Amino acid sequence: MELTRRGFLKISTGALLLSSIGLNLEPAKAYAAELRTKGAKETTTVCPYCSVGCSIIVSVKDGKVINTEGDPDSPINEGALCPKGASIYQMANNPYRLTEPLYRAPGATQWKKISWEEALDRIAKLTKKTRDKYFITKNEKGQVVNRVDAIAHVGSAALDVEECYILQKLMRSLGLVYIEHQARI
Amino acid sequence: MARKGLLITPDICIGCRACQVACKEWNQLPASKTKNNGTHENPPDLDANNFNRIRFIETSDAKGVKWLFVSHRCMHCGEPACVQICPVGALIKDKDTGIVYYDKNKCIACHACKSACPFDIPRYDQGGKGKIAKCHLCIDRVRAGLIPACAKTCPTGAIKYGDRDALIKEAKAKGFKLYGETDLGGLGVVFALKDSPKVYNLAENPRISESVAFWGSVLRTLVGRSGSTTSTFVKYLAHKSTDK
Repeated sequence: MELTRRGFLKISTGALLLSSIGLNLEPAKAYAAELRTKGAKETTTVCPYCSVGCSIIVSVKDGKVINTEGDPDSPINEGALCPKGASIYQMANNPYRLTEPLYRAPGATQWKKISWEEALDRIAKLTKKTRDKYFITKNEKGQVVNRVDAIAHVGSAALDVEECYILQKLMRSLGLVYIEHQARI
Repeated sequence: MARKGLLITPDICIGCRACQVACKEWNQLPASKTKNNGTHENPPDLDANNFNRIRFIETSDAKGVKWLFVSHRCMHCGEPACVQICPVGALIKDKDTGIVYYDKNKCIACHACKSACPFDIPRYDQGGKGKIAKCHLCIDRVRAGLIPACAKTCPTGAIKYGDRDALIKEAKAKGFKLYGETDLGGLGVVFALKDSPKVYNLAENPRISESVAFWGSVLRTLVGRSGSTTSTFVKYLAHKSTDK
């Protein structure tokens, strides 16, 4: 709406008069929300996504991750995080993450839910079959190598240090040499 | 406490949008439907679940193509029009820090603030029909001595938080042109630019309509009189007040 300066002054004086006769125009008292992470236990972790190795503070309350943010004490990231690192909260809290194994048979177009037993049995069976078929005991020079070139392992960016350690042990004991992680790619 | 603010330097922003993610994470906001508009800019606009976003601006001049990333959010004006017009005091300018925040419990969804705002920032929940939602510069964090989530996560320092005066001094020393140093009582979100504000899609000479303060007192008087903060008449007038 348009107002002339004169008209504006007239009406605002009126409004001022109105307000001076006992109507409270004081701004409401400040509303202070309590800090969401108050009382939470804080631990640090290393971002699993890339090889930079940013440090992250994880706040935990009642056994649930309630916040994640960059750790200012880290000389690597000094509290900052990239969008992927900043989204790490969702690794613990995201209703859209898969909770059970899905299987797509060779040639099939649809995924189907299967049990953990079925999935792990199948992975174990195929791993053993491939390993037995392609296991190399000695190379051309006759040196003992005990390796499998037919299987590679890629992953996983969402594992913590301890899980990576166990994974490495398993893969090395199978004889794998092609062991890669997203953080190195 | 000295007036706090953000210093945004689009020229060192890499458009990673960690600020958007950190804002959502801290404020616990759900995802919004994204849309491919031919750039990496997403979500398409601010809304009740997106308090900040990065605008991707592509321009070209004689020197070549420029790809600019500009933070889009509440500017936390020194003289905020929204605070002046709000009939129920739901919008508040913090005395200590100058942060313009809001109390959803008081908001009556009259939407007077939307058109009063010279930057078109306020958005509303319930698909645009409900109560106010906008950047509150993480006032909960600031009061606890933390820095806002967006500024904390920014990997390049394109969003810096601190005492407003110190930030301005720092930007001036580096030879930047400032946007928002004096406009509307000085914006809480100051931009350090290398070109004119127009290039960065920032409103030149932002102004508050003269009628804002008037309508603010009229609406507050009515609310005070009727005692009902949900009066349909107040809402009707609030809408009317902002018809331009």
